[in-house]
Amino acid sequence: MLVVRAIQADDLDALYVMASQVGSGMTTLKPDMKMLGDRLAIAVASFAETIPPEKRDYMFVMEDTDTGKLAGVCAIKGAVGLEEPFYNYRIGTLVHSSRELDVFTRMETLYLSNDLTGSTELCSLFLHPDYRTGNNGRLLSKCRFLFIAQFPNLFTEKLIAEMRGYQEEDGRSPFYEGLGRHFFKMDFNHVDDLTALGKKSFIAELMPRQPLYVAYLPTEAQQVIGKVHVSTAPARRLLEQEGMYFEGYCDIFDAGPVLQARVSELRAMRESSVSTIGLATDWDAACAPETAVSEPVLVSNTVLKDFRMILSHAAPANGAIELPEAEQRLLNCHTGDAVRTLSLNPRKPNV
Amino acid sequence: MYVVRPVELTDIAALEALAAVTMPGVHTLPKTREKIAASVERSIASFSAHVDIPSEESYLFVLESLDDQAIVGTAAIFASAGSNGTYFSFRNDVIQQVSRDLNISHSVHALTLCSELTAYSQLSSFYVGEKEQGGPEAALLSRARLLFAVLAPQRFGDRFFVPLAGITDAAGGSPFWDALGRKFFQMDFLDAERVIGGARNRTLIVELMPHYPVYVPLLPGDAQAAMGQIHPSGELAFNLLTAEGFEADDYIDIFDGGPILQAHKNSLRTFSGALTRRVETAAPERTAVPRVTYAVAASSEQNFRAVVVDCTPVEASASIALSQDAQDVLKIAPGDNVLCVRI
Repeated sequence: MLVVRAIQADDLDALYVMASQVGSGMTTLKPDMKMLGDRLAIAVASFAETIPPEKRDYMFVMEDTDTGKLAGVCAIKGAVGLEEPFYNYRIGTLVHSSRELDVFTRMETLYLSNDLTGSTELCSLFLHPDYRTGNNGRLLSKCRFLFIAQFPNLFTEKLIAEMRGYQEEDGRSPFYEGLGRHFFKMDFNHVDDLTALGKKSFIAELMPRQPLYVAYLPTEAQQVIGKVHVSTAPARRLLEQEGMYFEGYCDIFDAGPVLQARVSELRAMRESSVSTIGLATDWDAACAPETAVSEPVLVSNTVLKDFRMILSHAAPANGAIELPEAEQRLLNCHTGDAVRTLSLNPRKPNV
Repeated sequence: MYVVRPVELTDIAALEALAAVTMPGVHTLPKTREKIAASVERSIASFSAHVDIPSEESYLFVLESLDDQAIVGTAAIFASAGSNGTYFSFRNDVIQQVSRDLNISHSVHALTLCSELTAYSQLSSFYVGEKEQGGPEAALLSRARLLFAVLAPQRFGDRFFVPLAGITDAAGGSPFWDALGRKFFQMDFLDAERVIGGARNRTLIVELMPHYPVYVPLLPGDAQAAMGQIHPSGELAFNLLTAEGFEADDYIDIFDGGPILQAHKNSLRTFSGALTRRVETAAPERTAVPRVTYAVAASSEQNFRAVVVDCTPVEASASIALSQDAQDVLKIAPGDNVLCVRI
């Protein structure tokens, strides 16, 4: 069975094994014992609340309890851009108009910005290929929203997620080729590596300071602004289901979209609820005709230090949820404990 | 024999005939009779105006072939570019990209819309008939404007510039315009030049042209290649002007990317090399002395005339020997002063 839980100090070796399977394209999870060790230490301190909220980095791992192996990882950074500048392009509009000539031209522009400084960031999502089935991806991605809904006071009001930008099959980024290459004279992979080493702000400082007119870029570069990598499209949909959306910020290298949301407007904030483990009597459901399969539900405990979350088919009713014994064990919970629940999928309209 | 002189009302018909000949790359010469007449009148008014500070004056000169009394060339000078507005151009900027941490250092070329050429004096409308293009008359015509500026410095700025037409294709399209101006103006190059009348001082330029630097590496290859390149028709003017001391590297035109040559007057040969000499009537030929070609202008603001003269070097002499013909054309007599500069 799978459980997503707060990372623990003794997960380092398993984390390293997983990081070495990630491959390129994921800048925040590289197989480097020192980097991973540092990050793990921060994560552990975050859950223990021994460092200030803006420095925290909550890492979660998905564990297969049958084998004890890690199946995936994801994280929430308390705040970005407070130690080194966090750069994005903001897509803006400039109107050039002349009454005399009766010309009205709308020009899209890219402004180098630090607008998202201080936002809470969802990041570092990786699911091992062996586990990319069923609802596992959803469980791993959405666990973070349930965590935020349980502890909203730990986060800033603005939530963001940087999505990997569009690349061609051979890894070529049309946006980078059309823009960044002219200013860095290095390959995209090299830039990616430097980003991973925390040198992104150095590179950003080489970017043109003045706004850029999108119309000057090659067409193929213009077309991929705000477009995600093919393999990232499902991840983007999951976040959009939870209330995040593209608001015109994108990555300075590959133009991947930054999804944003206000924490108070997340689906998890509106729809999740706390129930007590125990006998649930759902009179409505009892009277209704039996449905073939009950909807999957995300269930988490309510303990910060040992946050755990699973996917269950038990339906909460009238403030109670009847969790099977095995699932209670996964959550380290007992009858009478409080759990937070959220339907895995958004309610379909008109149903 | 040829003379360069201020345009007169009687030249209007001849100028109209010149304008009927297609002149690719010349956008500053008026085409219609009405506009030609207006520019001639403006020039006459400018020459007769008493000027303390250069302003909206524009001086139009013609090259006349005295043998057949034909107008075979034109050249103009505006006292103060953008006089009732701002003269816009693109400045070539180099932005240094340096990161010590990454051990990166290189430079990026950018174009910035600027108004620095405002209030410079502007040379324009240079045109010479085909027959005269190879001769010293072309140099005389180009230089006569500057000789006038030497005579009447209060009428002009301390700096001069000359925009030269950029590259266009057979259909009149400009690769630089297509990559840049078209995106803002949404019209063809020649249409844009027509609406704006070749001017670079209109408010609509501020309204439409990019306010932020244009990073050159982002422009298509053909547009980059066109930057600072002259239209073939401008080659003669380019050679004459660079020989004069103009420099081409700092500015380009905002429409077609053609070069804008500019210089401080002190670095121009006409200013630094012009000599004032007393006129004498030339004695009979003395073949032993090598002869030198000069542009010679009458030292009179109101009766400006310039001709090409072959004579003995005048650098070491207080006077210049001119033929009676030349004296007649210049409307001067022995004892008068003339301004001369080697061609």
